[in-house]
Amino acid sequence: MQIASGGVTNVGRVRTNNEDCFQIVAPLGLFVLSDGMGGEAHGEVASALAVETVVKYCSGPEDAEATMIFSDTPAAWTEKTKRLTNAVHLANKSIFDSAQNHQEQRGMGATITAAWIDGPKLSVAHVGDSRAYLLRSGNLQQLTSDHSLVAEQVRRGILTQAEAERSEMQSVLLRALGAHAEIEVDTEEHTLFDRDVLVLCSDGLTRMITEPEIAGTLQAELDPAKAAERLVELANEQGGADNVTVIVIRLGEQPKGWFSWLRRGTRKEAESNGAAGGK
Amino acid sequence: MAKLSLMFEKRLVKQVPVGGRPVGIGRSPDNDLPVDNLAVSNYHARVYFDSGRLVVEDLDSLNGTFVNDLRVERATLHDGDSIWVGKHHIKVDASGEASIGPDVERKASAPRINETMVLDTKQRRDMLQQAAAMGERSQFAVGRLKMPTLIVFSGKTDQKEYVVTSKLTVIGKSKMATVRLNGWFKPQLAAQINQKEDGYYLGAGDKVPSVNGKRISAPVRLSHGDIVEICGVRMNFVFRD
Repeated sequence: MQIASGGVTNVGRVRTNNEDCFQIVAPLGLFVLSDGMGGEAHGEVASALAVETVVKYCSGPEDAEATMIFSDTPAAWTEKTKRLTNAVHLANKSIFDSAQNHQEQRGMGATITAAWIDGPKLSVAHVGDSRAYLLRSGNLQQLTSDHSLVAEQVRRGILTQAEAERSEMQSVLLRALGAHAEIEVDTEEHTLFDRDVLVLCSDGLTRMITEPEIAGTLQAELDPAKAAERLVELANEQGGADNVTVIVIRLGEQPKGWFSWLRRGTRKEAESNGAAGGK
Repeated sequence: MAKLSLMFEKRLVKQVPVGGRPVGIGRSPDNDLPVDNLAVSNYHARVYFDSGRLVVEDLDSLNGTFVNDLRVERATLHDGDSIWVGKHHIKVDASGEASIGPDVERKASAPRINETMVLDTKQRRDMLQQAAAMGERSQFAVGRLKMPTLIVFSGKTDQKEYVVTSKLTVIGKSKMATVRLNGWFKPQLAAQINQKEDGYYLGAGDKVPSVNGKRISAPVRLSHGDIVEICGVRMNFVFRD
């Protein structure tokens, strides 16, 4: 299956530092995104460490001996899924250990959302409130559950979705990398189809724009890098209260030639309209 | 005003509005919705408004109260939900209700938190308890006791029955589809069923499916007993024990 992808990270309109971090390892089909937290520059340290650890572990030599098993992984999982899950456990340990060894890093942590595509198989490993979405035939489906207090309250029927979106507690996480020596990782496997679009994003996107806006943008802009850019622009137009990071991954036939030329034309128009509206 | 319709199979037994007073459901005749069935406890469950939301609460019944496929102790109800007690079910019609507005203030005011933070186990327990103490007991799903299942009535498929266990179910000709359609000219990805937090949603793929004879215009949440039609295949969506 052909994969085209693009990613963007942006500091946003309010913050002065970018604690988000992402990496695309195209030859492996590996996509990793992390949103860091912690005072001073330590959120950046945590998210960078998370991404680096996952990428390093997943790109390392395949060696059964080296596969650390942190928890019981279901036998039905593919090797890639097990490896990705272990990589996230390892990232947790790296951040936790670093914070233990450096007094000034105490309290730092990070979210992680990692996707590994192998043929039609998708493995997703996730901790925190960054998200993975799948757009299939116009339907946007969130693949990950947010490990936030408000999301848990919605699941328990304490808050409605609308109340959760207005809550001041949205930044409170129940699970994040680096908070404890051990962590529970959400892992899923899915089968991908031609023309599926996968999106990984930090909460700086999903708190600023709605799911229909995300779906609409992905359908209008077929070039993954430009779609990611456009989503970041939209989040910033809505206030850009947090760092925004988006990775867009498009599967199957790639748009080329004629049609991409046509789209470039319409895109320019949209941009000039946007600029005129802003002034 | 919200209405509750007690149904036995397809037959309407009794209909009552929900107002300021809780609606009682149970075997005892003094309930607002008396259900004459031994599987139902005397005072089985009740439905009432709480802070503008319609909720159902199980009154420690022996056999449990289900909303759609989930066993609940307490749950927020939405228009079109079905509450199952024994073999009877109660249809919820809340279409006339304005949904909770942004002006409904929550009582507890929390400190403003701009920075992302993570709770340790104790803080997390305290916070959830605090939220629960705000006058609401948490909804508690005892477990997904019933399996969503597609039963094929007619049309060419590779199996006669499918348990919809995955978050993403594809109906199509593709060999990777869960529900495989056989025959010429069938699309690889004809339609999809996606599991969301509140149920299973049927959505279009390359074709637009029908639910109970009506073509869908947007993803539709499937209910027990719905008839799904796609590419000449007719299936019944049910929650099975």
